[in-house]
Amino acid sequence: MIKSEQRQAIEELVYRSCLALDSRDFKAFLDLCDEAFRYTITTHSAEIKRDMVWLDHDKKGMETLFTNLPKHNSDHSPLTRHATVYTVDLAGSEAYVVSALQVFRTQLDGGATELFAVGRFHDTVKLDGSTAKLVKRVVRLETRQLGYGYHVPF
Amino acid sequence: MGRTAAEWSAPPKFPATHYVDSRLYTDEAIFNEEKEKLFRPSWIIACHESELPEAFDYRLFTHPAGVPLIVVRGDDAKVRAFYNICPHRGNTILYDPSGNAKRMTCIFHQWSFDTRGNCVDITREEQGYQNRFSKKDAGLREVKCEVAYGGFVWVSLLDDCVPLREFIGGALDILEPYMQEPMELFHFHKAHVRTNFKLWHDTNSEFYHDYMHYFNRITGMLQPGYFERKYTPFPNGHATVGSMQIQYDKYEGSKERAVGWPKMARGGWYMVDLFPGMTYNLRTSVMRIDTSIPLGPNEVLIEFRGLGLKRDTAEERAQRVFDHNTIWGPFGRNLHEDLLGVTGQGRAMRKGTDSRWVLQGREENSTIHDEVGMRHYYAEWSKRMGRPAYDPY
Repeated sequence: MIKSEQRQAIEELVYRSCLALDSRDFKAFLDLCDEAFRYTITTHSAEIKRDMVWLDHDKKGMETLFTNLPKHNSDHSPLTRHATVYTVDLAGSEAYVVSALQVFRTQLDGGATELFAVGRFHDTVKLDGSTAKLVKRVVRLETRQLGYGYHVPF
Repeated sequence: MGRTAAEWSAPPKFPATHYVDSRLYTDEAIFNEEKEKLFRPSWIIACHESELPEAFDYRLFTHPAGVPLIVVRGDDAKVRAFYNICPHRGNTILYDPSGNAKRMTCIFHQWSFDTRGNCVDITREEQGYQNRFSKKDAGLREVKCEVAYGGFVWVSLLDDCVPLREFIGGALDILEPYMQEPMELFHFHKAHVRTNFKLWHDTNSEFYHDYMHYFNRITGMLQPGYFERKYTPFPNGHATVGSMQIQYDKYEGSKERAVGWPKMARGGWYMVDLFPGMTYNLRTSVMRIDTSIPLGPNEVLIEFRGLGLKRDTAEERAQRVFDHNTIWGPFGRNLHEDLLGVTGQGRAMRKGTDSRWVLQGREENSTIHDEVGMRHYYAEWSKRMGRPAYDPY
């Protein structure tokens, strides 16, 4: 049975990960991740009837990605990640966490906001007392049309 | 020093073959004409054979001329293509973008068709039509369909179209050595972009914009051989770009694409731009195919496909997927930059902005920063449209 403080730590971890990426504070995001962290964006194509991987990095790979991005030309419109923790299943010192995800994009010119993507976080979280770290995040996207795309992961 | 309105509107000081009128990208009448004169007569890539591995597998495709198509593998393994339009009351027959259907049945009145286009059931046929009309009168409209050039499924809407080989005109010969083994699709996504379809094709047809891509500058432009890459024009508006050895390991987090591609030199990269809106892009470990489906003068849906080899081990496939995603996936470094670039063009050239000309004046002996690829495209465009791209009115 999960304790309320454990659940609270997990929820806060998920929400802090959104806030960190929203503000492009990549160090803060990586600080929430365990050394064994792995991040993957996946989706299922109804057109080709296949699961697809759209991004897959370990912690070092994520760090490199974040380091490289300033050298690239990117859309600067901010994203707002809205997550809701749905389920938390505890197994020993790890928890499997499923959260709903909506990502909104706000235009810099005029500030119009549009829904950019929907999906779910499937997180594996390592618990140590009241401390929670992300060991694995699979972003399972429902949305497959992302227009001109985006450089910063969800 | 800025220019006056008159100076801005004056034709560029280039030969007329070296610029185009921006209204080509915004005019509704020109756009509608393009669908009829450019896309309808052309052979178009609808999908890859690996999307239809089994008998009765089908795939929907909206032809750039606007026609909804079903591409289906028959009980005889042959791939055919039909209008996705019921001949009864014009309804859509198949709704899901892919599936397996021994019988394709319209949900409206349950008229049913087999994978060879025969109508095999008309509900209450005798009661309604007596002897005046029957299943033999109600076959699906079949369009020309061939599997070729790497296992891609090509379709043409014209009964009297030129043969596919004649349409390609040798442009894909450069890739033939690398398309001898069966390929398999691992990536598909669509991008809906507010720009003209020609602007996307232009971006695939010129490398001068490598200045936009940090990845391409560091792995290509700064490396030996880059400025020797050459464009070769082919009949019917197609063009190819020769290879070099891309230094993938120069980009932090990337490494040499060791998984390679059969018969291809290390780090090789070939491109073939096919008129009026398709591109083969083979970068060592991954084949990418772009197919543009124009939706309006300033709106295009681009289908992106990524392919590896059918014989890939799990490890090889994973590496190809990784290589693909680094630059070409929806979160990839280059694709986002390219799509941003053409979206910016779409914004600057939308109707009423007073954008006047697009320059294609670079001449560098047909090497990589020469704009001959675009010039070749617009020469064909002018021929088929019966109006010069530099003065379309």
